[in-house]
Amino acid sequence: MARDKRYGWRLVAAVSVLAMVATACGDGDDTATDDTGDEAVDDANGDDGAEDDEAAAPDGDAYCEEGGDARLRWTHEQEPPDLHHQDPANNLTITSWVRRALLESPYGVSAETTFIPQLIESDDFAEDGDVWRYEFTLRDDLMWSDGTPLTAEDVKGTFDILMEGYDYDTGEGGEFLYGSRDADGYTLIDPDSWEVDGQTYAFTTEEFFSGVEGLFNPVYPAHVLTDAATANEALTEWMVDGEPIPSSGPMVFTNWDRGVNLTMDRNEDYHGANPENPDVVNRGVACVSGVDVAWVADTDAQINSLLAAEADVIMTQPQVAFGERIAEDDNFTVASEAGPVWEHWGFNLNNEHLADVAVREGMAYAMNKPEVMTALYTPLFDDLLPEAGLGNVYWMSNQPDYVDHQTEAGYGQGDAEAAAERFESAGYELNAEGTWEHPERGPLSLRVGTTGGNQLRELQIQIMQESYREAGVDIQIDNVPGAAYFGERPFAPEATECALSGGEAGDCGIWDLTQFAWVGGPWPGAGHVAFLSDSGNNAYGYQNEEFDALAAECDSTFDDAERADCYNTLSSYVTTLDEDPEGLVVLPITQKPSFYAYSNQTLARGAVAPDADSAGPLVNVVDFLPAP
Amino acid sequence: MFAYVVRRILSTIPLLLVGTFIVFTLTAISGDPLSRLATADVGEEAYERIIELYGLDQPIPIRYVNWMSSAIQGDMGPAPSQGSQPTFNIVMDRAGNTARLAIPAFFFIAITAITLGVYSAVKQYSKLDYFVTGFSFLGISLPTFVFGLLLQVIFGLWFFDWFGVRPFYVLGMRTVASHGWLDMVRSHVLPIVTLWLVITASESRFQRAAMLEVINSDYIRTARAKGLPRRKVILKHGLRNALIPLVTIWAIDLGLLLGGSVVTETIFAWPGLGRLLLDGIFQQDLNLTMGVIMVVSLLVVAFNLLADLLYGVLDPRIRYE
Repeated sequence: MARDKRYGWRLVAAVSVLAMVATACGDGDDTATDDTGDEAVDDANGDDGAEDDEAAAPDGDAYCEEGGDARLRWTHEQEPPDLHHQDPANNLTITSWVRRALLESPYGVSAETTFIPQLIESDDFAEDGDVWRYEFTLRDDLMWSDGTPLTAEDVKGTFDILMEGYDYDTGEGGEFLYGSRDADGYTLIDPDSWEVDGQTYAFTTEEFFSGVEGLFNPVYPAHVLTDAATANEALTEWMVDGEPIPSSGPMVFTNWDRGVNLTMDRNEDYHGANPENPDVVNRGVACVSGVDVAWVADTDAQINSLLAAEADVIMTQPQVAFGERIAEDDNFTVASEAGPVWEHWGFNLNNEHLADVAVREGMAYAMNKPEVMTALYTPLFDDLLPEAGLGNVYWMSNQPDYVDHQTEAGYGQGDAEAAAERFESAGYELNAEGTWEHPERGPLSLRVGTTGGNQLRELQIQIMQESYREAGVDIQIDNVPGAAYFGERPFAPEATECALSGGEAGDCGIWDLTQFAWVGGPWPGAGHVAFLSDSGNNAYGYQNEEFDALAAECDSTFDDAERADCYNTLSSYVTTLDEDPEGLVVLPITQKPSFYAYSNQTLARGAVAPDADSAGPLVNVVDFLPAP
Repeated sequence: MFAYVVRRILSTIPLLLVGTFIVFTLTAISGDPLSRLATADVGEEAYERIIELYGLDQPIPIRYVNWMSSAIQGDMGPAPSQGSQPTFNIVMDRAGNTARLAIPAFFFIAITAITLGVYSAVKQYSKLDYFVTGFSFLGISLPTFVFGLLLQVIFGLWFFDWFGVRPFYVLGMRTVASHGWLDMVRSHVLPIVTLWLVITASESRFQRAAMLEVINSDYIRTARAKGLPRRKVILKHGLRNALIPLVTIWAIDLGLLLGGSVVTETIFAWPGLGRLLLDGIFQQDLNLTMGVIMVVSLLVVAFNLLADLLYGVLDPRIRYE
């Protein structure tokens, strides 16, 4: 009998060994060697010390000596299809986040969402006869990772790639994959005005262009990306002639094992962060020896990776689960910044109820932003965001020129009485169900939709739904899963046709209210696309020639203070009735920072990730200091 | 037997065609690849590029025929969600990664399901039978992601708190080539255990039921009456017949395991076919979605054929004509 038992165990053991062998057999096909990953594991366990200090630039030496030189491990939920961010079908945030560590721009963005010099040493903008002339001088010590000096020729080369094949007469064409040359201002530059001399370059525009600091983001290496076709191909996999594209940033692309991870190594020839950058401490090369980005689609698994010390940093869409498991834990630092991404409810101005400005104002009074902030955002971000919510769509709450127009107008604070007064003035009466009802338009029942599956947005809508119910407005939820929402609701071709035609064509009944976020930036002029009369991104149907003209005027205003006031006026057009009695197009709710957290166990110091969604965690990657 | 195999293979062709056409149609109508451009201020050329890539200006049946005729020749088209790399290459690469989990998991599942199922049947209403039954119901009731996340928490977090070591990785695939044997094993254990727990739970129930039916049959009673040892009766005469229904389940499970476990691979960030399918669906990459579906379909059909052939090995009365 004893013999039989042993036989049974032998069988189990034999099968177990067979199973392990079967597991290992697949390695024969795995030709991608990834020594870097091994290093990451060892370093995370504290087995590896700083051993590459000699390579660090003088400024970085002292900073990095305090810690180790492990690799930075970042888990993120979405793997990009490629790294060509200018491909309109791939305008994913993660793509730009990865690229921030690889390529730099004339200007960066600070934690206050303002432009700060990056590659630039100095600039000078001045009227020159009938035109405006912009002269920039790059820093002297700039270098590509392959040892080639980074000069003004690279900026000019970038312009040539962007505009190759573009027809200035028709405003069409272009060889480089690109979505919006017009909106970004490149077409304003006179292509014959370029002057390039060493580190200095200059060009002109007919009128002053206030968004000039946002151009050439990033600067491409002209010595390898010689034309648009080469750039299109190289930027997809970040390889040119079998070699990674040379970097001007603190990291160099090394490998992308699709489905597994993307790895970058430290740029040992990095010229260092600009001394004008207030968010960076380390002026030398990065302390971390590289960055490994692993793709982890599941939110809970992402958190587990951080808790289990298999990741050092996460930065992603805010989720309730993050607050429950990380925000309260001393082992992790939540270091989110407010940033320029703003959530809002937008009105379909061609809806029969919402076409009435009194109804829109009633909706604005009834909205209860503080309730949403207290329930959802404060637990995640403490006092990073104003409790009253956001009240401006051109300036964000962390920018010096921010004015909360909506709160000043009394909107967004859950004022049911004021809302009732507006609904009554529009001819509505409360029906037996407690809902406002118009004799011709019927009950004030509106559908609101968003990207289904986004837990925070869904909760937000549910909270709003309840407060609107108390104010006599019936809100029906009409979500569509994921990004498909945009194409099926506010930006469906028929809906856009309705918006652009002022309700004369297309289908105006596809949506009533929409909730999503616009991604802004340090230059407010980029936000015009949501409201200009002829913009394909104007889903709301707002048509105001006065607004259009003022938008152009703001962009070309040279004086900083005047321009700031001008953008505030524009914001008043669309968030209140102060400037336009037929305005009030959107109800901004709050800025939506990404949830950015890092481990205090594996990192001695984290880096500032200034403008949330636009920059990502790697923008100041030089400052990540691994624990000793 | 050869004629039978050929006939079975031929009969699966229309099945595959109908099945893949239905999937193709559902995938094609469930999302519009052009919607990704909805919020981008882009020109006509961007739309035309995607229309040309997927043949969106053609009716769905024509698109299906075009896709299938290329796929038969090994060309499943480019996968835009994967940097426009050839879909076939990506699918084959990921299939290898999935096999790293599926094959060992299947071995463990087979051994455990048989062992627990037989023991439960033979020792019906014993304490162990109740325990195994309870375990099985727990495994069947709880979704895979609960097991996966629970294992991550236990071995990634709690185990460290208790003993100061993290025995297994909670995320990602490590190979011998890149990380060595030890790390390879440490990264494979939790996803394999997750698959093992979930599938063993249901298979052990099938095995128990089949075994109960067999050991109460006349020929088993006859064998015992003839004085054959109980162990021999159970393992040689009983188990062989009781395995037949389980083989059918194995064929389906192995096909699905090799086709990728969407949930397990997502939780453990495993670069297999299941996650690839999810990427394809979420990014509305029709070529990729169809490529994975095609491979999974072929695997299920192939393993069902294998199961049919195994019936004859297990029960000599079954003949193929």
